Parts: sequence; structure tokens; C-alpha cells
Amino acid sequence: MTRQPRLAWLLAPATLFLVLVYVWPTLGLFRIAFNEVGPTGAMIEAWSLATWRHVFADSFTFELTLNSIWLSLTSTFLALLLSYPVSLFLFRTESRFRSLLAVIAIMPMLVSSVVRVFGWLAILGDRGLINSLLQSLGVISAPVRMVYNWTGVTIGLAESIMPYMILALLAGFGRLDRTLEEAARSLGAPPWRTFLRVTLPLSLPAIALAFGLGFILSMSAYITPKLLGGGRVFVLATEIFEQATTNTNWPVAAVLAVYTLALLLGLLALSNLFSRRLQT
Amino acid sequence: MRTRRVVIQAGLAALAAPSVLRAQTISGSITLMAYAGIFQDNYTRTVVEPFQRAFPNVKVNYAPGGTSAQMVGNIRAQKADPQVDVAIMDVTTSTIGNVEGLFDKITAAEAPSLDELYADARQVGGDFGPAVTFDHLVLVYDTQAVKPPIARLADLWRPDLKGAIALAAPPNIQGLALTAMVAKMEGGDYKQSIDPAIKKLRELAPSVQTFEPNPDGYSLIVNGVVKVATGWNARAQLFSDETKGKIGVLLPPEGSVFQINTINLTAGSKNRAAAVAFINYALSQAAQKAFTERMFYAPTNGKAAIDPAAIARTAAGAESRNRMIPLNWNDIIKVRDQWNNRWRREVIAAGR
Repeated sequence: MTRQPRLAWLLAPATLFLVLVYVWPTLGLFRIAFNEVGPTGAMIEAWSLATWRHVFADSFTFELTLNSIWLSLTSTFLALLLSYPVSLFLFRTESRFRSLLAVIAIMPMLVSSVVRVFGWLAILGDRGLINSLLQSLGVISAPVRMVYNWTGVTIGLAESIMPYMILALLAGFGRLDRTLEEAARSLGAPPWRTFLRVTLPLSLPAIALAFGLGFILSMSAYITPKLLGGGRVFVLATEIFEQATTNTNWPVAAVLAVYTLALLLGLLALSNLFSRRLQT
Repeated sequence: MRTRRVVIQAGLAALAAPSVLRAQTISGSITLMAYAGIFQDNYTRTVVEPFQRAFPNVKVNYAPGGTSAQMVGNIRAQKADPQVDVAIMDVTTSTIGNVEGLFDKITAAEAPSLDELYADARQVGGDFGPAVTFDHLVLVYDTQAVKPPIARLADLWRPDLKGAIALAAPPNIQGLALTAMVAKMEGGDYKQSIDPAIKKLRELAPSVQTFEPNPDGYSLIVNGVVKVATGWNARAQLFSDETKGKIGVLLPPEGSVFQINTINLTAGSKNRAAAVAFINYALSQAAQKAFTERMFYAPTNGKAAIDPAAIARTAAGAESRNRMIPLNWNDIIKVRDQWNNRWRREVIAAGR
């Protein structure tokens, strides 16, 4: 037996597992997308495009798509702004606590997302930490609404994807060479110019990688928009859940899920293309 | 004297013999899927445990099932190999199960308690699972923070409640029920048009803090997040007791809407005899009395002798029945998507 086929056998358990828990259910999802729903809400076994037509004729689907993309863009951008300096610091620091600091930075991943969201409700709510502080300082007279709207969801989502983005940035900083920065500084470039002309361009592949990951995680996020949105933030993920578990309309949920999957795959391909261009 | 007592005891024993014998011949385990949380706690104590005492050879596994739609979804997914024998859920979703063949028909010959039910409780499921509880939509409020207390549905539009209201918007059935109630408040009828209701709800939208109370409106009031919310009477009454009156419950004089839970026998149940025995027990006078007095769901068994004080706090109270808006949930299901879209585009959009 040659080396390659022997290696392929190593992939067999994982492949089998993926087929069982992912491919097979996804095929089931495709099948349900062609069923119909009767007037009582009962699902009718069929091979029909009626649900597809219904979903794509509804302008709300377009609105959901735009909402999902916009929410993902804003929260990922916010998360990037916050994650980049943290990652750069972790990458550069020679502190003996570097590992500990890295663990602290990604610690939110260890906490349930539901718990994190309820934490944000306690911080950003009308009677939360920030509003209480601002009111006690006399800065505001009435609470500023920061949850149950887009603001709350954007903040919560940015925080939830930050640990993943920090890890992606750290993994992508491989091409950052300190000697190039030192060369720029020795040639008289001030720190801000060194950052703009040397550090930032060299970290663009890492940024692209982290941005792609953050964007995709945001697109598929459900808990944060659901709990922090107050029923005002409609995105594809929440709509799929709503259709499946409140409306009992599995065919519509399946069509939206297939559509979201296709959208994400397309965006992933674009992100990969962009990353490769940056690396070449 | 002694002889007479022995004769009476023997007679009673002979009368009870068939049911005792039946109770001993039915055995095995069944899975009951129903709501979680306080429903599960109280239903287990007042119905499941007494049933198990009456049928010592039957074990009931209580599987908390989330929302009604999640429960019917679970049973749909298990259609080829059902793991659930009995399910309690909202009528809007059990109807789906009946149409899809997920549930079986039940006859009075196998479950005699069916003959003791109110006519509307029996009719709601047709030949399938009947109503097991009645409930209705109420307004719940913080009695310490809302001064003066709210007295009618129209009070939701009071300026002092701005930003302090939690409403569950459609497709949640609370939102659908509220739409019918506001339609009536505005002098109309939801069957004709919901335009006046939507117009009025648009005016309310800026006062609403959340259209999706999580985990529920009662908890948000207890935690001081909101002052008023919509809720279901039974749970609201229980929370009112548990919070020693912090939560107030109002059945709006403008009217309310019944919510109906049905009890359903899963098609292909692996222990049909025990499942039917459980359904029969759950609909019996004893079980209905115990659960109503515990949790204030209105009974569906017309012969259950329930404490008048408990009845007064349920949908079966005379005051409650008079205020109910006749609403056919099967009709609502047909317009649910349409109402849902109007809420999203007109009501919630006005409250952003």
C-alpha cells in the first residue's frame, strides 16, 4: 500500500462522522425544502417549488439578507477594531505572562453564549451598569436604550466573535517581521507611519482571515440577535428558528437554511479569494 | 352491624374490582411530553404521581418539550419510531399533528373521561385528543411600580408606561390573541379587519421595550426590567402568589381570548394501553380538580368539583367566561403569516 492511500484511511473515521451528523441531515433539509405547507400549517410531502417561490417572492427575504450582511459587517468591523491591538500586543509581548494573557483574551469562549448575553443585558439595560452610572453622574436624565435594538445586538455580537478573531489574527501574524519595522524606524519613519506603511500592510492577510471568520460567525449567529434584539432585529438565522420552532413551517425554514448556506459558501469563497490575493 | 359493614365492603370491592384489575394489568412505561418549568413541576405533583399510584405498574417519564411547535416538531421527526406516547400542547399545533397523522383518535369506550368533558373541550380535537386545560391572555403588571394599577387594556397606552412594556409579538400566539383583543377594543371584529387594531398597536409600539420577552414577561417584571407584560392567566396567577402579590393579574374588561391545551395520543405508541389510561386519568375529575386548584388552568371536565376560590381565578370563572372573545384558532392559523407580516412591517417598525 502506498503512503497516500494509507493516509486517506486516517480520514475515514472523521469523514464517516461528518457524513452521519452533517451531510445526511443536510440532505434531509434539502428534501424538506421541496415540501409544502397546507392551510392548517400541516406539512405536505411533495416535490414542489411552491415554497421556494413563496420565499423568494417575499421582499422580507431580501430585507433579512441585507440585515444579516449589515449586522455581520458592523459587528465584525467593531470586533476587528478591538481585537487587532489586543492581538498585536499578544504577538509582540515578551512578558512571561504571555500565555496567561492569551487565555484571558479568549476566555469568553469558555462561557455559554446565553450567559454572556444576559451579562450584556445587565450591563446595557435601562437599569444596567452603564445607564445607572451615567444617571448617577448626571450625564443623562433618562436611560439611553442600548439593548433590545441594533446597538445592543452589534455590541453583543462583536464581543462574542472577538476571541475567534484574536486567535485568527495571532495565527495570521506569521509574516510580521519586527526587523522591517526597525528598518523603517531607523530610516526616520515616525511610529504612526511605520504602522501604516509596514505593520498594517504585512498584517492584511491576518486581517482578511479574521474578518472572514468573524463575518461568517456573525451571519450564522442566532442567540445574540434573538436575546438582545427584543424582537426588532430580523436576520436570517432568527427567521429560520422562528419558522421552524414557532410557526412549525419546516419547508420555509429549510428553504431559508439552504439559501443561507449557499450565501455563506459564496461569501467564504470570496473571502478565500481575497485572502489569496493579499498573500501573493 | 359488623355483618352489614362486611357486606358493604365486599360490595364496594366488587364494584372496584374491574378498575383495580385493569390498573394491575396495564404495565410498562410511557413518555409524556409537555411544557417544562413550573408546568412540569405542578403537573408531575398533581397528575403524574397520583396516576402512578393508581397504576403502580406504569412508569411515566416526563420529557420537557419546549414550545408546542418544538414538541410537534419532535414528534414529527420521530414519526417512523415514536418515542413519545402522550403529548400536551397548544391546539394550534396539535391540529397540525392530527392532520399529519402524528396523533391517533381516542374513543370514549377506551377513555370514559371523555364523556365528562365540556362540549367545547371535546369538540376542539374532533375525534383526536381533546382539551385538557383552558387558559386565557391577561395583562400582568408590577403592583408596586404601576400606580394607579392598570384596569383595562386601553391603559397600555398610558404615557407613564412608555418604555416599560413587554409584548410577545406574532407568530407567538400571545401576539395573535392580543391583535384580536385590540380589534375588539377598537369596536371591530378581527374576522372583518385588523386595520384598526394595527393602527392602534402602531401607536403603542414606541412604548414597548421588547417584542420578545426572554425568558418571559413575568420574570422581566420581577427583575424590574419592565412594568407591564402580556401573559397567560394560569402562570400569572401562580407567579402572583409566589411573588406575594408583586405581580398583578388583569383580565381586561375589553375581553380576552382562550388558549387551549390538548392531550394527544401519539400514533404508533409502543404502549397504547398505558398511554390511553394516562389520558383518561388526566381528563378525570380527580386530576382536573387537583391541577386546577394547584395552577389555575381552567378544567375541561365539567363534573370536576373544584374549589370555587380556585375556579374564580381561572378562565372558567363566570366573570372570565363572559369576557371571552369567541375565537377559532383554526381560522387564526390561516391568517397567521399575514398578521405576522403586518406586525413586522407596521407595528414593530414603528417601535424601532
